[in-house]
Amino acid sequence: MADKIGVFICTGYGIAEALDIEALSKVATDDCDAAYCKTVDSCEGADLDAIIQDIEREELDGAVIAGISARRYQDHRLPAGVVVEKVALREHVVWCQPPGEEDTQMLAEDYLRMYVAKVGKMACPEPFQPEEDLDKSILVVGGGVTGLTAALEAARAGYEVRLVEKSARLGGWLAKQHLSIPVSPPYRELEDTGVAALMSEVEEHPEIKVYTSAATSDITGAPGLFDVTLQTVGNDESPPENLDTFRVGAVIQATGWRPVDPRGNLSYGEVPDVVLNVDLEEMVKAGGPLTRPSDGKEVTSIAFIQCGGTRDPAHHSYCSSICCLTSLKQALYLREGSDEAKAYIFYEFIRTPGQYEDFYRRVQEDPGVFLTRGDVTDVERDAQGQLVVSASDTMLGEQVQVKVDLVVLAAGMAPNAADGEAIRALEDAKVAAVEGDSDTQRAAAAAKVEELQHHEGTEILNLTYRQGPDLPALEYGFPDSHFICFPYESRRTGIYSAGGVRQPMDGQSSRDDATGAALKAIQCLEMTSRGEAVHPRAGDRSYPDFFMQRCTQCKRCTEECPFGVLNEDKEGTPLLQATRCRRCGICLGACPERIVSFKDYSVEIVSSMIKAVEVPDEFEEKPRILALMCENDALPALDLATQSRLPINAFVRVIPVRCLGSVNVEWVNQAMSVGFDGVILIGCTYGDDYQCHFIKGSELANSRGENIREKLEKMAMEEQRVEIHQLQIKEYDKLPGIFETFAEMIEDIGMNPFKGM
Amino acid sequence: MAEADKVSRATLVEPDLPFIHTLSRRIGESYKKCMQCGTCAATCSLSPKTAPFPRKEVIWAAWGWKDRLVRDPDIWLCYQCNDCSTRCPRSAHPGDLLAAVRQESIIHFARPRFLARWVNDIRFIPLLLAIPALLLGLALKLRDPIAAALGISEQADGRIVYAYSSHFPHWLLNGFFLSCAALVLLGAVLSARRFWRSTKAAFERDVGAKPVKGVWPSLGAALKNVITHDNFGVCTTAHIRYLSHPFFFFGFFSLAAVTLWVITSGINPLIRGEFIYPFAFWSPWKILANLGGLAVVAGCILTIRERLFGTAYNTAGNYFDWSLLITLILVALTGFLTEVWHYFRMEPHRHIAYFVHLVFVFALIVYMPYAKFAHVVYRTTALVLAESFGRKRGVPSAAAAEEQRDPIMPDTPPAEAQELGGEPS
Repeated sequence: MADKIGVFICTGYGIAEALDIEALSKVATDDCDAAYCKTVDSCEGADLDAIIQDIEREELDGAVIAGISARRYQDHRLPAGVVVEKVALREHVVWCQPPGEEDTQMLAEDYLRMYVAKVGKMACPEPFQPEEDLDKSILVVGGGVTGLTAALEAARAGYEVRLVEKSARLGGWLAKQHLSIPVSPPYRELEDTGVAALMSEVEEHPEIKVYTSAATSDITGAPGLFDVTLQTVGNDESPPENLDTFRVGAVIQATGWRPVDPRGNLSYGEVPDVVLNVDLEEMVKAGGPLTRPSDGKEVTSIAFIQCGGTRDPAHHSYCSSICCLTSLKQALYLREGSDEAKAYIFYEFIRTPGQYEDFYRRVQEDPGVFLTRGDVTDVERDAQGQLVVSASDTMLGEQVQVKVDLVVLAAGMAPNAADGEAIRALEDAKVAAVEGDSDTQRAAAAAKVEELQHHEGTEILNLTYRQGPDLPALEYGFPDSHFICFPYESRRTGIYSAGGVRQPMDGQSSRDDATGAALKAIQCLEMTSRGEAVHPRAGDRSYPDFFMQRCTQCKRCTEECPFGVLNEDKEGTPLLQATRCRRCGICLGACPERIVSFKDYSVEIVSSMIKAVEVPDEFEEKPRILALMCENDALPALDLATQSRLPINAFVRVIPVRCLGSVNVEWVNQAMSVGFDGVILIGCTYGDDYQCHFIKGSELANSRGENIREKLEKMAMEEQRVEIHQLQIKEYDKLPGIFETFAEMIEDIGMNPFKGM
Repeated sequence: MAEADKVSRATLVEPDLPFIHTLSRRIGESYKKCMQCGTCAATCSLSPKTAPFPRKEVIWAAWGWKDRLVRDPDIWLCYQCNDCSTRCPRSAHPGDLLAAVRQESIIHFARPRFLARWVNDIRFIPLLLAIPALLLGLALKLRDPIAAALGISEQADGRIVYAYSSHFPHWLLNGFFLSCAALVLLGAVLSARRFWRSTKAAFERDVGAKPVKGVWPSLGAALKNVITHDNFGVCTTAHIRYLSHPFFFFGFFSLAAVTLWVITSGINPLIRGEFIYPFAFWSPWKILANLGGLAVVAGCILTIRERLFGTAYNTAGNYFDWSLLITLILVALTGFLTEVWHYFRMEPHRHIAYFVHLVFVFALIVYMPYAKFAHVVYRTTALVLAESFGRKRGVPSAAAAEEQRDPIMPDTPPAEAQELGGEPS
């Protein structure tokens, strides 16, 4: 807690032209009891040096620099051990308010009061350091091209790696391939897969320990402190037995993919000469002439059917992005065998991303490869044992048929992943189906068990996490976090997914992906060892502190934490695994007892800011609106809006929050009791295309809205006084309108009846 | 459409690999790189809006669908102006491809087959020239016995007066070339008939069921188009042919007219008194013939220049293109040589030159149904057919619009196609 606070008011940036600096200084010294107040020309460069000198000379333990947004100008020279906050007078006052007006001055003064109050309650975060030493080795699960590359890259960077492979040998799918698609310029000729070299390099590397025919039976702990138990893969003769136990700092899940089973489509499973692309790969790899499975006749023609029986919206609707390339490659296998051979490729869309377009062109030019868009309607066997493939809607302008020896279905890829949260939900439902309070509850739980039954026994990582034994899965079962913004990230800190399990991809992309994931894992090890948050608040040294004496074991925090940070004991007591934490504060927002706090972010700190606002009485007709805005998108959107000089309602007082999910109902309560007329919460969009940096924060805030409404009702207030908005950063221009509409609505329903009480 | 119907309409495609190799060789590179974007069809000034060419032809060719292509009348509606090739984003050279397919089509419809093979193979040049040389030599050898047998005397050859020599008597050449021409005409008519039947079926399939105009009005319109060179006029890339082809066309027809005048001299009621042969230099007929000959040479020079140094074509052309050009230029040059030597009374030069000239004339006329020259028959036939089906550039066919569904591009509603058609409103 800072006792001796200095206030530095910048007069540059157009601030002195718009505001009465003297009055502002008076607010600092008289209203806020700041120990020291000074005006400076700016808060950058030499002026900042002067500020630092003043802080040291005056032995201040807290400082408020009122000038420009901390988002615009960051300087790490600020003295350690001093709590410093910046007030964005330029962005949040000068740029969006008419200069010299009374309301503009009031706004600036309020911000100054709020931040001095905040600094008064804050303390410098001390990095989390567990009692045990943090481990800096990496566990890689999966020995395919992704796992091998991740292991090698991490080992080359100097980190000890343990690589676990379920099957008896390394190499994964790539080791089963005859040749690889071209991965180097000019992207025209097939290449060696390179997996043999990769395997031997991994096996010979002194920093890598390889376990084959092994699986993880338990992973307990947190980043830097994962305790791993390996078991052998059992079979009918020998049950699994413990192989090894060790500690690692981070985990990379590279468990790969499996082909989608198109059984029942296009005669697959009924006619032996209809095979999958992975089958053909093995047939070619086996060597010798390519023959038909049914009668051993040499294959001289193949029809490749892209999305073979899988691009069905009801079944498997996404594109796996490499099947087209695989068919083009396999067409060349056939063509290189014989100049008379014919390969037909029926596709819906041919997709050869990036440089692979050149390979597509090269295959296209081969005289014996025939490509067309088309819906394959039928595959039939004729009297001679030939397969007749019929396709409609082709580019040839009509329905066509071709006769071939072999039909290859280019089926899509499904991740070798388990949905940890679904497995946990299944467990909970099983319990509820027996122990539920009422018949209806038990019936609902039984239905849930039925629905989730297929997750039974699918565990891969076997994590000991409150939220389930594996990574949570996104759409289509891929254990991703947010594939555009945060590749490799999962929703479990320190556990990264890479390669085919994360997203359908080819060998080369898997290598790139593996390297990225290895870097992520290393980042995790290093930042965790310094007691810093890894992602997305990278470098944040604060962490949540639970005042356990007041915990009622309501489990809200353990259930709502999107990252499984909190384990719980039998009674439901939250057990913090601090190195898993992303510092979003969702637990802080969830806790009805308000026992969760960070050194620099807590219910009390934000409450003090709310209380610091000077609320005019109702006869002044100056309403006050509290805006709790997410730091990740809504706050930058406000900066963008003011940068464009869009006017912001002068009655709005903005408080940034770490995530909308960290908003504690107490703050709304507080705002209402000090006389605010309305509270507006602005966060990221949620749902399928969520943009929340903490996955569920804004969604949780919305579902907690019910709580807020109850609270308002108790206070005999209109529920419209609290609004929750979703805003994308690109929608910054909507922000003034949102405030304006809200302010008009407040004007309609009238002032807060508690004002001045 | 019922499912059963759909199935019954499916066509078995068996790609012809040698055909693909042949086409690629002729174009100079693989045309299979086509990605079916349709730029070619959109950019073509001659392509109709319904089932436009050459896009569909390129995919058929990529699939080695020889059967379908050689019977496709649309290949003859293309004038290889190569606007499409210039704009093709994949350099698939659709214009050159269609030229290569036309060559295959000529060979396909020509009878007897062996002659088509000989005419289109450079190794057969000696044989192909030996045939007319021997036949003509034989005819000259037998000139006097035949004359005696037919009772023709040098003095009694109708009204014809030989100004200098009667070494190549009129009756002999008439008899020889008219019988050859009759055979050629028969062959051409038979080919055209086969072509008409199979291409008509193709039009019915691709464009719509019914012809909208009778054959004779269609023929009239087609001939008008041919004479005015309208289709060459809209071309951008190989625009030089708007000049060179009229040179060939009118040059050739001037020479043909003079020849016809000479052939019919014995019976032509317009000719009074003696018919002095060869013509005097200032005879109007001689002037017409000389101008015609010069036009053909000019056409040849322009074309050869474009083929060798121009950018309109991907290659300098193949034997098929060059054999016609060289035959034409040789016919013209040997003709001029004969004429010059004749005026200077060079003996025996002018007889030898005339003999060689006649050999090349034979090659031009008799080998016509098997060579590039056959386009005269096929293109005209295709133009008549297109006229009769109302298949015109930039306009969707009436029949297809009626059917409310474009058979080649099912996603484009005819209404929209019509809008794009740009018919003046």
